[in-house]
Amino acid sequence: MGQFTQLPSISHYTAYRPRPFTREERDRVTILYGGLTWKHERLMQGALHNLQYNAEPLPNIARDDLDAGKELIDVGACCPTIFTTGSLVNFLKREVTLHGKEEVTNKYVFLTAGACGPCRFGQYHESYAMALDGLGLRDFRLFLLAQDELDQGSNGGGGLDINMPLSLGLIWAILCADLLMDLEYMTRPYEINPGQTERVLKESVEYLYEVFRNRPDHGKKYGALAWHLLSNYFARALREVRKKWDVIEVDRLRVKAKVKVTGEFWLQTHEGEGNYNIKRWLEQEDSEVVPPPVAVWLHYLLHPTIRKLEHRNSKAKHPHAQALALHTLERIYRATYNRLRRALANLPNELPDQEELKRLAEPFYHFELRGGEGHMLIGKALHAYHHKKAHMICELSPYSCMPNTMSIGAMANVIGKYPDLLYAPIEVKGDSEVHALSRCQMILTEAKMRAQAEFEDALNKTGLTAEVIRQYEAQHPKVRSATYRVPHLGYAGTAANYVLHLARSCRLRPELSQDPNDRREGEARTAAYV
Amino acid sequence: MPIPILQTWFAKKHSAAPPIKDRSQLRVGIPKVLNIWSTHQFWVGFLKALGISPENIIFSSDTSEEQGREFGKGRGTVDCCYPVKCMSGHYGELIFGQKKKINILLSPMIHSLPSILHGHVVDTVTCTRVMAGPENIKAGFMKENDVFVENGIVYASPFVSLGDRQLVSGQLYTSLKDILNLDPDETERAVQAGYQALENFTTRARQRSREILAWCAQNQKPCILVLARPYHMDTGIGHEIEAELQAHGYPILWLQYLPGDADLMNWLFAEDMRKGRIKTPFDISDVWTSSYSSNTNEIMWGAKVAARCPWITCVIRLSSYECGMDQPTYTPTQKIVEATGTLFFKFGDLDSTKPAGSIKIRVETIVHYLAKYSGSIIGRKLSWLSADCPLPRTSRERTPTRAMADEARAAEPKQLVVLH
Ligand code: SF4
Ligand code: SF4
Repeated sequence: MGQFTQLPSISHYTAYRPRPFTREERDRVTILYGGLTWKHERLMQGALHNLQYNAEPLPNIARDDLDAGKELIDVGACCPTIFTTGSLVNFLKREVTLHGKEEVTNKYVFLTAGACGPCRFGQYHESYAMALDGLGLRDFRLFLLAQDELDQGSNGGGGLDINMPLSLGLIWAILCADLLMDLEYMTRPYEINPGQTERVLKESVEYLYEVFRNRPDHGKKYGALAWHLLSNYFARALREVRKKWDVIEVDRLRVKAKVKVTGEFWLQTHEGEGNYNIKRWLEQEDSEVVPPPVAVWLHYLLHPTIRKLEHRNSKAKHPHAQALALHTLERIYRATYNRLRRALANLPNELPDQEELKRLAEPFYHFELRGGEGHMLIGKALHAYHHKKAHMICELSPYSCMPNTMSIGAMANVIGKYPDLLYAPIEVKGDSEVHALSRCQMILTEAKMRAQAEFEDALNKTGLTAEVIRQYEAQHPKVRSATYRVPHLGYAGTAANYVLHLARSCRLRPELSQDPNDRREGEARTAAYV
Repeated sequence: MPIPILQTWFAKKHSAAPPIKDRSQLRVGIPKVLNIWSTHQFWVGFLKALGISPENIIFSSDTSEEQGREFGKGRGTVDCCYPVKCMSGHYGELIFGQKKKINILLSPMIHSLPSILHGHVVDTVTCTRVMAGPENIKAGFMKENDVFVENGIVYASPFVSLGDRQLVSGQLYTSLKDILNLDPDETERAVQAGYQALENFTTRARQRSREILAWCAQNQKPCILVLARPYHMDTGIGHEIEAELQAHGYPILWLQYLPGDADLMNWLFAEDMRKGRIKTPFDISDVWTSSYSSNTNEIMWGAKVAARCPWITCVIRLSSYECGMDQPTYTPTQKIVEATGTLFFKFGDLDSTKPAGSIKIRVETIVHYLAKYSGSIIGRKLSWLSADCPLPRTSRERTPTRAMADEARAAEPKQLVVLH
C-alpha cells in the first residue's frame, strides 16, 4: 500500500509522453533503434544518414539484457519485451556512467516500432517507459513508428519527420537486407573456404550502406514513392553485390537438413543470445537454415484481404477506391521484392503467397485472429511441407507469448493431420539454452535422415555418383559458385535438388564415371528416369 | 460439417411453401469461458431469436479442477494461462457430460467487445488468447480423431467482432448459415435481439451497482471494487476471493458493471476535465496510450474510478498466472489507485488450485485495513470532490443485501438463462 500524500487535487500515475524532439536538435541528437539483425540495422542506418539523421543501432542483444529487463519491468513479460527493454536499459546505463544523465537524455532518442496489437507488442513502449522510470530517466525520449503508415508527419517537435523518404528508405533497407540474408544462409553451410561468406557479406552490407546513404533526393511525397518504385538504383546495386558473391566457391554435395525457422517475429528474426544463437547452432549441426525475412511480415501487414479488419473504422470517403488502392499496393510490393530478387539471380526465396498461407491455415487457425504472426505460423509450416521447402520447421516461441502459445496449440491439430511434418516448437526463455537446443536436436536427427534419404534417392534416380559430379564440377566450375542457381526440383534438400538439376539441365550422365560397373548401372537408371 | 440430424431437419422439402425452420429441438452448448462471461446475454438473445428454446441453451459449469480432470484430461495442447487451459474441461463437459446430448458446440472467437469506453479509446479488441483460444482448444479434440463428429456434434466457432456492430450480422451469417440454416435477414434480427438482451442486462447490472454506491453514500459505508477480467467471476478462476470479503459485510462491485451514468462520472472526473487532462470521464489517454485491448482499457478506467470514488475504499486486483495482458498494467493500476490512499491488494498468479490458506490470511488483513481506514479514506476523497454529489441523500434506494450484491456480481450465465 502506498502512502497517502495531501494533494491539491487528485493526481496520479500518468502515461509516458516524450518531451519534444525539435528540428533544431537534430544535429545534436542520435536516434537509437534496434530489434532486427545487424544487416538490417546497418542498411537502415544508411537510409537514416541519408536524411541527415544521426542514427545508431543498439548493441546486439546479450544474455545480461534479460536480467536488466527483468529488474525494471513488471514480472511475467514475454522474453522479447524483456530482452529489448534490457538492451535499452544497459545501453543507457553505460552511457549515463560515462556522460551523466543530462547528457544522455539530451543526446539520444529511441525509435521503436509500434503496433495496434492485442498482444504485448502494442504495449512494448509501456515497458520501456516503466524501465525509464526505474532508471530515473523519465526525460529520455522514445517515439513510436507505426508499421502501416508511410507518412506519419513530424513526431513531437519536428525533430523526427516520419515521411515518405524515411519510411521508404527503411522499407527498402529491410527488403535488401532480407535478400542478402537469404543469400548468406544458403551459402555459408556450403562454403569451401571457411569465413569467406562472412567476409563477402560484410563487404556487401557496407557497399549497400553507402548505396542507401547516397540515395538521391526525390522530394518528400509521391516523387519519392515513384522513384523508389521505378528506379533501377537498388537493383543495380544488388547486381553489384551479386558479383561479389560469384567468387565464393561452394560444395553443394554436402547433405544438410534444411530447417525453416519460424516463430514469434522478434525471436525468429533475431541473431544472437536472445534466441540462443539458434540459427548458428543449426548450421553447426549440419543444417541449412531458411531464415525468416522481415518482408513476409510487412506483406502480411499490408495484405488488404487479410488485414481488412484493420480498416473497419476507416473514415475513407471512397472505401472501394481505398480497397483498390490497397490491392494495387500489395501487388506493387510483391513486384518490387521480385525485381530485387531478380537482381540477385532469383537466388533468394520468393515471398509466399499470403492467400495461400491463409487457405492452408484456415482449417486450423482463422486468418483474422490477431496478435503475433497470427495464422502465418501454421500457414508457413504447411507451405514448407506441401512445397517441400524444408525438411523441418523450427518454431521459436517466446516464453509467455500470448499468440504464439495459441498457434502452437493449434499445431497439434496440424500434426495430427500431417504426422510426417517435422515440427520443433522451441520455447525460449532466454536462460535455458541446453533444454531448448536438445529438444531441437531430437527432431533435427530425423530431418538429417530425411535429407540423406532424399540425396540417395536423387542419386538413384539419376544414376549419378558423387565422383561423376565432382568430375563435372572440375570441368564446369561455375556450378560451384555461390550464385549459381539450383532450382527447386521437388526435394527439400539442396544436395538432392543439385543432383537432379545436374542430370536434368546440365545433361550430366553417369557415363562420365571411370568405373564401368557404375556406369552401366547408372545408365540404366538414368534411361528410366530421363 | 453438418451432422446428419441437422441435415434431416433442414433438408429442402419438395413443397412450394418455404420450409419452417423449427430449431426448438436443437441443443446448443456454450463453453462458459473467457469473454462469454461478459457477452453471454448476447448469445442467449441471439439463439432465442432464432427459435432455440432457452432450456436448450446449455452453458458449461463453473470451472473446477474436477471438471478438468474428468472431461479435459489429455486434451491440452500447450501450457498457458488457466482461463484458456481450463477450456478443455468445458468443451469435454459439454461433449461427454450431458444427459441429453447437445447438437452444436458454439465457441465463438470473440475479436472485439462492446465496451463502456467505446469511442473514447483506440480500440476494444480482446486478448489474442481470448480470440484464438477456441482454435487452440479444438485442436485437442481433433488431433487424433474428430471427437465432435464421433459424438454427433457440430463444432461452430464463428469469428465475431462484437465491438463492431456493423460487422456482426455478416460474420455470424457467414459462419453459421450452413449449421443453422440461416438467412441474412433473420440473422440480422437475431443479432439485434442479442444486442438488446445484452444491453438490458448490462443496464440492470450497472443500476444495481449504482444502488450499492448510493447505499454506501447514504450510510458513509465502504465498498470494494474488483478489478479483474470478466472471467474472474468464474468461481474456479477467481476463486471467490471477493465472496470471502463480502462475507465480512463489504458490498462488492465488479469493474464490468460500474455505473457509467453521466451525473456520477462528471462529478468524479470534473476536475480532470476542467484541467484538460482528459476529454470525457471515459477517456483514459492520461494513463494508457496503448488503448487497444477492451478489458485492459476497462481495468485502467476502473482504477481511475476507484481512485476517485469516495466509497470505493479498497480495490482487489485479480490476475491469472501468466497473463500477458495484465502484466504491463500491474504497476500503473496500483499507482493510480494508491495515489488517493485507496487500499489496493493484488491476488496475482491465480491458477487452477485455490490458494485457500493465503486467501484466508490476506482477507483478514484486508478486512482489518478496511475497518481501520475506510472512514478516513471516504472523508479524504470527498474533500477533493465538489459538494454536488449526485447520489441521493435520503434513504430512497434499497439497502444492499447479499442477494443484491450477488446480482451486481453479474450472476453466472447459467443462472441468467433460468431467468429468461
Ligand atoms: S507476439 Fe508474443 S512475444 Fe511477441 S510481443 Fe506479442 S506477446 Fe510478446
Ligand atoms: S487476458 Fe490474460 S488471462 Fe485472459 S486469456 Fe489473455 S493472457 Fe489469458
